[in-house]
Amino acid sequence: MVIPARRRRQGALAALFLAPAALLCLAPIAYALGLELWFSVTDAAPGTDGTFIGLANFQALAGLDSFWQMLQNTAVYITAGTLLKAVLGLAMALALASPFRGRRLVYAALFLPFIFPVVLGTIAWYFLFSNVHGGLDWLLLRAHLETQPVDWKGRLPLLSVVIVNVWHGSALFGVLLLAAMRSVPSDLLDAAAVDGANRARRFLHIVAPYLRPAAILGCLLSVLGNFGDFATVELLTRGGPLGRSQILSTYAFENALLAGALGLGAAVALVMIPVYVAALLIALRLVRD
Amino acid sequence: MRLWNAARWLVLGPLVTVSLLPIFWMVVQAFKAEPDALSIGNPWWPDHPTAANFSVLFRESQFTGWMLNTVGVTVATVLISVAASLLAGFALAYLRVPYSRHLVLVFFATYLLPQGVLFIPLLRLLSRLHLLNSPWALVATYPSLVIPFGTWVLWSFFRRLPPDLVESAYADGAGAFGVLRHVLLPVIWPALGTIAVFAVAIVFNDYLYTTTFIQETSGQTLWGALGALVTADINNPGESFAAALLVAAPVALLCAFFADSFARGIGTGIIEH
Repeated sequence: MVIPARRRRQGALAALFLAPAALLCLAPIAYALGLELWFSVTDAAPGTDGTFIGLANFQALAGLDSFWQMLQNTAVYITAGTLLKAVLGLAMALALASPFRGRRLVYAALFLPFIFPVVLGTIAWYFLFSNVHGGLDWLLLRAHLETQPVDWKGRLPLLSVVIVNVWHGSALFGVLLLAAMRSVPSDLLDAAAVDGANRARRFLHIVAPYLRPAAILGCLLSVLGNFGDFATVELLTRGGPLGRSQILSTYAFENALLAGALGLGAAVALVMIPVYVAALLIALRLVRD
Repeated sequence: MRLWNAARWLVLGPLVTVSLLPIFWMVVQAFKAEPDALSIGNPWWPDHPTAANFSVLFRESQFTGWMLNTVGVTVATVLISVAASLLAGFALAYLRVPYSRHLVLVFFATYLLPQGVLFIPLLRLLSRLHLLNSPWALVATYPSLVIPFGTWVLWSFFRRLPPDLVESAYADGAGAFGVLRHVLLPVIWPALGTIAVFAVAIVFNDYLYTTTFIQETSGQTLWGALGALVTADINNPGESFAAALLVAAPVALLCAFFADSFARGIGTGIIEH
């Protein structure tokens, strides 16, 4: 399509068109990635770029009980959150698949938690789970299911953050799976119905294969999203009590910003990279298929 | 069929209830009078509903400041991201760019990079650029979270368009800007809408960047300020909830009705259509 006479001008034009994206996105990210790698092998602190200390930061982390506990929490947070979101998202998509009265409204209501500011949602959950004028306690006390107020987010910290995360993220699975269901050719389903296949068989043999890429994409986005999910944990439990709900991003934040150990914080953040690379490889295979 | 319908509502009923529960709770608090807020009483209903919390907002400058910051950052992020993605997506799809395939993959890879990876070095970068502690820190960084997705979506979208659409316009002597404006813009606005919703989701769901990059309260977004207030144990969040709802509710509701096209955008290249 490129017209030869315009080639030289096209080069300049392409550079001009790519400049904003390069300047606002690729350049700062490349710079930050380089700086992060440097920080992770130095004793950098606020105001100084630090001096090279080899792998001391990583060795220090490996020797910390809090680091291993945080990794375990992160694994639970990611796995439980992703599985629950997938199940609820599938239920959502199945219930919304065929048209009915009020479908658009229900669809919007279910998507709302995803787009509603997560800070606000988490603060609301904070007060719902609280033992001081807590919304959940009020209901449970009224129903005589408990005799005195319980600080649910303190008693079950990891479960609490998982619940908020699932509340926030299920809709993404829902809309992805729904979009995938829409891509199933309807004549295929009609033909199967004519052949006498019931609803369950049609789902298993015709719809499910179409859902697979969407489900994998949802899982990848959920896993990567939960790594960087700072707001929920920071606002609901601050990683506590005693680090029982600490996850990777809050741990990096605490080390780097509250304790001022930028090098240690950078090393923590880099722990995400292997999982990121694995997720990227899976995603690339999906795209190529 | 009737049984199927009953089953549907059996699933949707609880899902919708839990989805809206915290939002409903927050709306209730926004309509509670000061002594009422979070005091003993029904946390699920305002005994004496009042709009006082909303009228305070426009008298107290800190709320006006936070609201303006939030609206400004959101609008700037949407506009910058959409424009930059549009130009980059167009260049990669239609102009002669060396290694364009690889560049597309770089954008795709950047799209999947978790937000939590780079906030520490970005803090240093912003400090070197003297952008810390003001909403500009967010205007400078949020687009980097949207542009990779936007460029990827638009590039895929352009590639699915019939090639003669653009070729014949070129043959008629139109320039790149002309093609973009008159031939492509009319057909790609759903994709642009998807990118805008994605940008809003980035701004609305961030807490990490806003609390890391902005330590001065006056430069905060509503959620940044609210998070700090709540972790500092304030007793009357009614006003803050009112402010946040006033800004967030209309935008979130608007976006919620675009969920469908949003999902198709997210699934670009992966879910077939």
